[in-house]
Amino acid sequence: MLLSIEPDGPVPIYQQIRDRIVEAIARGRQPAGSALPPIRQLAVDLGVNFHTVNKGYDLLRQEGLLRLGRKSGAVVRRDASSGPPDPGWAQDWTSRLQTLLAEAAAQGMPATGIAGECQAALADFAFPAAVAEVRNRGGGSP
Amino acid sequence: MSAGSLAAVSPVLAVGALLCLMPAVTRPTLQFGVRVPRERARAPVIGRERRAYYWRTAAIGVCCTAAAVTATVQGHWPSWLTRIILLPELAAGFGCFLAARRKIAAVKNADDWFAGLRQTVVADTSWRTDPPRFPVRWLMPALAVMAATAAAGALRYRGLPAHIVTGSGHRVPKSAVTVLIVAGQLYFTAVYSGLMLIVHRSRPDIDAADPAASTLRYRRFLAAFSRALLTMAALADLGLLLIALPDWQVYRLSSIGRALPVLPFAAGVLLLGAVAARAGQGGSRLNGNVRGLAPAAGTDRDDDRFWKAGLLYVNRDDPAIVVGARFGVGWTLNFGNPVAWLLIAGIVAAWAGLAAIGAAAGI
Repeated sequence: MLLSIEPDGPVPIYQQIRDRIVEAIARGRQPAGSALPPIRQLAVDLGVNFHTVNKGYDLLRQEGLLRLGRKSGAVVRRDASSGPPDPGWAQDWTSRLQTLLAEAAAQGMPATGIAGECQAALADFAFPAAVAEVRNRGGGSP
Repeated sequence: MSAGSLAAVSPVLAVGALLCLMPAVTRPTLQFGVRVPRERARAPVIGRERRAYYWRTAAIGVCCTAAAVTATVQGHWPSWLTRIILLPELAAGFGCFLAARRKIAAVKNADDWFAGLRQTVVADTSWRTDPPRFPVRWLMPALAVMAATAAAGALRYRGLPAHIVTGSGHRVPKSAVTVLIVAGQLYFTAVYSGLMLIVHRSRPDIDAADPAASTLRYRRFLAAFSRALLTMAALADLGLLLIALPDWQVYRLSSIGRALPVLPFAAGVLLLGAVAARAGQGGSRLNGNVRGLAPAAGTDRDDDRFWKAGLLYVNRDDPAIVVGARFGVGWTLNFGNPVAWLLIAGIVAAWAGLAAIGAAAGI
């Protein structure tokens, strides 16, 4: 997996690390059970402070996507094929999604354009066959 | 020309050639220590400064070598004085580097070459999940030479007089010569392999515009370079053995024959130079594009502010101990990391220890 960050960009680096790993999990590049580099090594590879990577990994741990163990290191805990999300998870996500969609609407992007962008993004993700089928029928939960 | 003068002149010639060839093996996106976007690598100012640098350093190399040859042929000066020529030679080369760096950086800043570009840093997690292996087997020749030296020393030790006259004409205790030779070999082998071990655990030089392919190229570069360096350690050990054998009265050599120990050192430097010239810094001259493996993520980050004088890396926020060198082929230390200073202190202390033993023995 290639992890690309913009150190001088507006988004905090720990957030970028967290975002890139979530995307890699969704795309099937880091399936459940696969290992991520130890915190110190990823910090060396990105040339950033150890605490920055630690913060990014800790976010993922809080979200239930990463398991951090002394011996096992950082291991991806779940992916699209690990079943439906934990109860209560969708609430926060829905509000963030609304903000994101509202940004596009406020900027004058047409509804079809927004939907097209969403479709294109989803097409890039690795959904397991059963989930994809439900999604195509339009009956999938978020 | 005697062995001593040959040993004195050849470093001056080698340093001159190395200085002159440096820009040819550096990556195209790093011109004289200035980070440039790939699309600006052929800017007119870069071509002009590269040509000027080649001519200037070639002239410096020729002048310094001529001065060294003249000094040794006349024979009035001791050979260490010839080696002093290395200092002005390096200083002049550094001056040429700085002149080119200043002019390119001026144009880069005036025209704002990085304006509008997405500057990224890329990590390849496969570097950690499938790390490169240190070529332990290539350490065998160096260990074999060390074992042979220890065996030869042990065999000859009893038969030697208490004091022996070395090739350089010093009369020293036999124990000092034996200890110094073996310790010297241990030092070379430990320093080379230790540094390569650290490099194997360090980060690869990844090109943000072509991350997957550049990681693969770096892997090949690291494999070839570490093998060449371990071979060089074996050759350096062999050189020390060849210095020891006449001292241990295994054989005698005529005047020019005393230059024999220089040959393995020279062969090692040539081998390393050949690998560096073929691969380029971080494998930048190797083929092996796998474009399509990953989309171009962006442009390498403009990191000039962390490089003092374009050569010394000082970044307190970067936990790396070793990073790819900015000019030429190889690696350098992150002087913003206290561990790097500890490493230097260790290497210097070990060298000082060897020098102290030598001084105490009167070499």
